[in-house]
Amino acid sequence: MSVVQKQINVNDEIDNVCEDLEVKLKYTSNITPEDVLKLTKITDNFLCSNNNEYQIEFTRFKIRDLETDTVLFDISKDPNMPETNEITTTDDKQQDGTTEDSGRFVRYLFSATFLKLKHVGATVEFQVGNKDVKNFRMIERHFFKDRLLKTFDFNFGYCIPNSKNTCEHIYEFPTLPQDLIDQMIACPFETRSDSFYFVDNQLVLHNKADYSYNG
Amino acid sequence: MGFLTVLKKMRQKEKEMRILLLGLDNAGKTTILKRFNGEPIDTISPTLGFNIKTLEHRGYTLNLWDVGGQKSLRSYWRNYFESTDGLVWVVDAADRMRLDACKEELNILLQEERLAGATLLVLANKQDLPGALSAQEIKDVLELDKITTHHWSVVGVSAVTGDKLLNAIDWLIGDIAKRIFTLD
Ligand SMILES: Nc1nc2c(ncn2[C@@H]2O[C@H](COP(=O)(O)OP(=O)(O)OP(=O)(O)O)[C@@H](O)[C@H]2O)c(=O)[nH]1
Ligand SMILES: [Mg+2]
Repeated sequence: MSVVQKQINVNDEIDNVCEDLEVKLKYTSNITPEDVLKLTKITDNFLCSNNNEYQIEFTRFKIRDLETDTVLFDISKDPNMPETNEITTTDDKQQDGTTEDSGRFVRYLFSATFLKLKHVGATVEFQVGNKDVKNFRMIERHFFKDRLLKTFDFNFGYCIPNSKNTCEHIYEFPTLPQDLIDQMIACPFETRSDSFYFVDNQLVLHNKADYSYNG
Repeated sequence: MGFLTVLKKMRQKEKEMRILLLGLDNAGKTTILKRFNGEPIDTISPTLGFNIKTLEHRGYTLNLWDVGGQKSLRSYWRNYFESTDGLVWVVDAADRMRLDACKEELNILLQEERLAGATLLVLANKQDLPGALSAQEIKDVLELDKITTHHWSVVGVSAVTGDKLLNAIDWLIGDIAKRIFTLD
């Protein structure tokens, strides 16, 4: 499996696509799944407002290693509690957020062993407000610098009003070349991701994260 | 090469299956899902939406959908029928009081057009409980022999001990594979 895709090094092309999107956003505010799948780097800005009309709240993230059957990472958030930016987790992983754009940005501090995982399960838990959510789709783009590491694209379909839902993806972690691993460890927070959430092909949420692997 | 063959070929490339777990509340759907994935099953609460698992199993990508079975949620089930390859109907075989309701709900699903192409696996769950009806008895009560519209099978399982669960799911996957993927 080659999840690590060919590095795109035509800088002009990169700038074109990103500029186009920013321009498009100004005039239409209609960013489609096809648009974000074309992105060749992390976006400079959030591509939609933070008003979250469907009241979609992520309440838990969990990662387990199936090889050793251990939970590596498990953070829960009580959506009824005021937003906090410091969430303490077990052993060598922690997370915090920034104050601006509260809740839209997460920083993950991992140890280097994280990059050596083979078989992992990643769970998200979320709830939705009292409108039903049709055709709910998540697209997640992971980059190291301008190199695309992985794209997740999953359609949850329909979410029942006021429902609480979970989704676990169990997958083979891409085997990364050693030189890439070394660079990722040496350059904390240059590994970054954009998570785009669409309802009926309308971008309704955009979250960002960055990662370090030298913890 | 006919249209169907082309379709089959396309599906085969993805080797993806969508499997929907339904049944009355408390039947054990979420417990089965977690047991199948080797997760702890001691802190499961009633499902107020869905639980999805995507995983690789025997060379296929399985998308397993477990939707809550409480009465208030059943009217939403139809939102999950589309593209379903396999329907797992989970029965609490020890809950004799609700077998009528169980049969009724299953019959509604079997008439559903969007499930017409799905293989049906009935799991007579909770075989570890002393009062549980056997797979044979569940078959009779639910009148499964009358089903002519779907490939089906009934298996007595226990989500708690894990007994027969894997075999049952492998039967389902095998049946779906035979129906929708060409054998090269
Ligand atoms: N003894 C026994 N108990 C079981 C078995 N499977 C599930 N249970 C118990 O049955 C109860 C309900 O299980 P769930 O998995 O939550 O049932 P569900 O079908 O997901 O219920 P809803 O989410 O409300 O639709 C839990 O207390 C389980 O521990 C089994 O095989 N044997
Ligand atoms: Mg459940």
